[in-house]
Amino acid sequence: MAGTIHERGVSPVEKADRAREGRDPAALELRNISKDFGDNRALHEVGLRIDRGEVVALVGQNGSGKSTIVKVLSGFHAPEPGGQLLVSGEEVPLPLAMGQASEIGLSFVYQNLALAGGLSVLENLNLVTRVRSGIGAWSPIHWRQERRRARNVLERYGVALDLGKSTRDLPPVDQARLAIVRAAEELRRFRERTGFLHSVLVLDEPTVFLPEEDIQFLFELVRTVVGEGAGVLFISHDLAAIREIADRIIVLRDGKVVEEAYAGDVDEEMLVDLIVGAQTRKASSAPAQALSASVDGRSAEEPATPPTTTPLGVTVDRLAGRSLRDLSFTIGPAEIVGLAGLIGSGAEDVPYLLFGAALASSGTLRLGGKSFQIPQLTPEKCVRQGIALVPADRQVFGISAPLTIWENMVMLIEDSHYRQGIFHRRELVELAQGGIEAFVIRPPRAHVPAGTLSGGNQQKVVLAKWLFATPQLLVLHEPTQGVDVGARRDIYRFVKAAAARDQTSVLWVTTDFGELAEVCDRVIVCGQGRQIGELAGDELSDDSINAAVLRQGEEAG
Amino acid sequence: MSTSSIETSAIPGEESPEDPSGARAHKAVVRRKVGLDRFALLIAFAAVIVGFGVDEPSTFLTVGNLSNILGSQAVLFALVLAVLLPTVMGDFDLSLGASAGLSAMTAAVLNVQHNVPVLVACLAGVVVACIVGFVNALFVVWYRNDPFIVTLGTMTVVTGIIYVVSGNNSIGVVSTSLSNWIFTNNLFSIPLEFYYGLGLFLIVWYTLSFTPIGQKALVVGQSREVARLTGVKVDKMRMWAFVFAAGIAGIAGMFYAGTNGTVDPTAGSTYILPAYAAVFLGATAIRPGRINPLGAFIAVYFLATGAAGLELLGAQTYVQQIFYGAALVIAVTIPKVTRQRIRRRLIQ
Repeated sequence: MAGTIHERGVSPVEKADRAREGRDPAALELRNISKDFGDNRALHEVGLRIDRGEVVALVGQNGSGKSTIVKVLSGFHAPEPGGQLLVSGEEVPLPLAMGQASEIGLSFVYQNLALAGGLSVLENLNLVTRVRSGIGAWSPIHWRQERRRARNVLERYGVALDLGKSTRDLPPVDQARLAIVRAAEELRRFRERTGFLHSVLVLDEPTVFLPEEDIQFLFELVRTVVGEGAGVLFISHDLAAIREIADRIIVLRDGKVVEEAYAGDVDEEMLVDLIVGAQTRKASSAPAQALSASVDGRSAEEPATPPTTTPLGVTVDRLAGRSLRDLSFTIGPAEIVGLAGLIGSGAEDVPYLLFGAALASSGTLRLGGKSFQIPQLTPEKCVRQGIALVPADRQVFGISAPLTIWENMVMLIEDSHYRQGIFHRRELVELAQGGIEAFVIRPPRAHVPAGTLSGGNQQKVVLAKWLFATPQLLVLHEPTQGVDVGARRDIYRFVKAAAARDQTSVLWVTTDFGELAEVCDRVIVCGQGRQIGELAGDELSDDSINAAVLRQGEEAG
Repeated sequence: MSTSSIETSAIPGEESPEDPSGARAHKAVVRRKVGLDRFALLIAFAAVIVGFGVDEPSTFLTVGNLSNILGSQAVLFALVLAVLLPTVMGDFDLSLGASAGLSAMTAAVLNVQHNVPVLVACLAGVVVACIVGFVNALFVVWYRNDPFIVTLGTMTVVTGIIYVVSGNNSIGVVSTSLSNWIFTNNLFSIPLEFYYGLGLFLIVWYTLSFTPIGQKALVVGQSREVARLTGVKVDKMRMWAFVFAAGIAGIAGMFYAGTNGTVDPTAGSTYILPAYAAVFLGATAIRPGRINPLGAFIAVYFLATGAAGLELLGAQTYVQQIFYGAALVIAVTIPKVTRQRIRRRLIQ
């Protein structure tokens, strides 16, 4: 089978494949798929196959190429020439057109589920059962018939849902199940319509927002779908879930397939090794163990006294809210602490919970000698106490596009430039000019609308805005998302300088683990709403953080 | 919904450093053209004055005409200032015309039917209008409803209340002292109400353009979530905007009562759409893309001048409507047309 690279000789999988070849064509097979983005080789001669009735898991770090493969299958990306796509043994010419996937028996469920939230369950199911264009689009809908049809569909998959309920009112697990039923139904119709036996359901990170208990429901549904004869490609970070539901696991690293194994033959440790690269094992496991020891030790030593307040620096106690269950940490003055976790781990909620932009259910914050109940914090109170937040969604929460650069930059300090009834605009513009120079913003013109700047420059403006207010605590969420390399370096420099100069405590939350390794003094690792590890100093590397983050299964138990 | 985020005349690709010199020179020309956009309304205004002045010098360029134009717009202008406040914040208040009418009717009923001294009656009118403003603030901001829908509802309710309060009659004649203070007495042949309006304008202009509060209001309207995350008390500001706007509408009602002497139940209702037209038209001038008081000021008097000129030429009064509407649509389209033409040329 072309494209697979093994580190331990021929795998039992490949042996079985070779035996099978010539008898039953695979439902879906990719051969020699490569994809370049400029200089970057995102996929290198990747091959994989999915058989009827098989669940194949695809795992890999962020940037390993998983989503690129999905995009090639959905027609969003055109692979380099030389690759092949075979469906039921027959070659389909690449690149696929967008939307062509459903014509060849592929159906997708993405993380965002793509359900029409305002529409009912019935209407969402209806979306796939209707002729969508031409004269068919005008034929009347017989709702009673549709209702009956929909009920049959749900029964077939063993999913009980209220047809009339609005989709956005369903609990997340039911939304996911609805999305999967809809996709599976689309596949079944394809099989009926074309007479082909194959069909493949691609599930892209479907369990991310689901609580443990609900994942079982999802798996039952997947097994039903598989029982009907579809093949499933299951993409996920959740190693425990994968080992439970998948038959075979394919590991991608740096755009190449590095391993293929039956799920029963590998354990989580081996998977982590393969995903990240074996050499990180020793480095990261020790500090994780040391941390568990120290946490236990601490609670044994000081059961009654609350943690001492550092006169400078920031302490967060038992923060909870959204996906976060319980997190406590301390950041010293001029210290940059990172927070790493997969989506759903709770890490991504921390910045907004702390800032009062999302409602926390519990938590205490101590800074500057004062103590606050986090659920009662609002952005306004936080700003007054010297807490700053650079949010991830720059366009909506960070930068005001119609306003000029200087107007964006001085938002937090304008009040102090209004004296005796005169608004000293010129002072503010001059300060902004200084900020533009210090933060290397292009074009260096204060009166240009901020919306015309590149992402990197916009982010620097947002950062400047907050740093002008000399905060005690600076929280950054995905600060270099969509930012060019040069601006990235600048941002690292500026934050480090601000921390050193003003003794600002910095909390850096991002899924770019390489960035954390570069900028942070310490990184706290989150999983399933809690802290599961901590790395510091020399241990910090993209791989070690990745490994720590993937180990959630072990630590949570 | 944020209504004050009108597209700015930003030039695409302005900050890319690598640029063949040809395109850069082109962009310099483009920049100058776009800069002139800000004064388009003023230029149009000047053109209208010159045009009508040349055509009908004896009737147009007279003190009487000037006084007529400036004085007759006072009620509308006050309402324009009222409309400015929620619009800057990104909200809508369709009920302001009705609030003005309610204020006028309240003052009239109290003064004429209950012999309440005219000043107290007017104050009562303004207070009543503020109550309407507070109701709007409550339902829009506190209960998080769409401002268009809520104020459409309150507008209808208030219009009904006006009929109830007046017994479906026109109420007159309001005490002449009010008329004296507002309409009859002149300064340089222009009715005093123009100067009151001017005073109000200066307060609003100062607050919106020369204070941090005004700057924050701008951010609330343009990028509400950014304002919120910067610690601006977004909801509080929006609520106050509704209340103050209604108060100013109440003052507009006072002007109405003073100018007309008799208040009929439909007073105020005809002003709301022209007021919005002036606000949006004003947003194309001085500070393009931003709701701004100076632009609105120019817009009101530009429209009034144009309409007066047309009347002098013999056009019927309803021509005003056509002129207002056409001016608004044309004014907001012109920047788009020039920008598209520029974009196409830059691409070539």
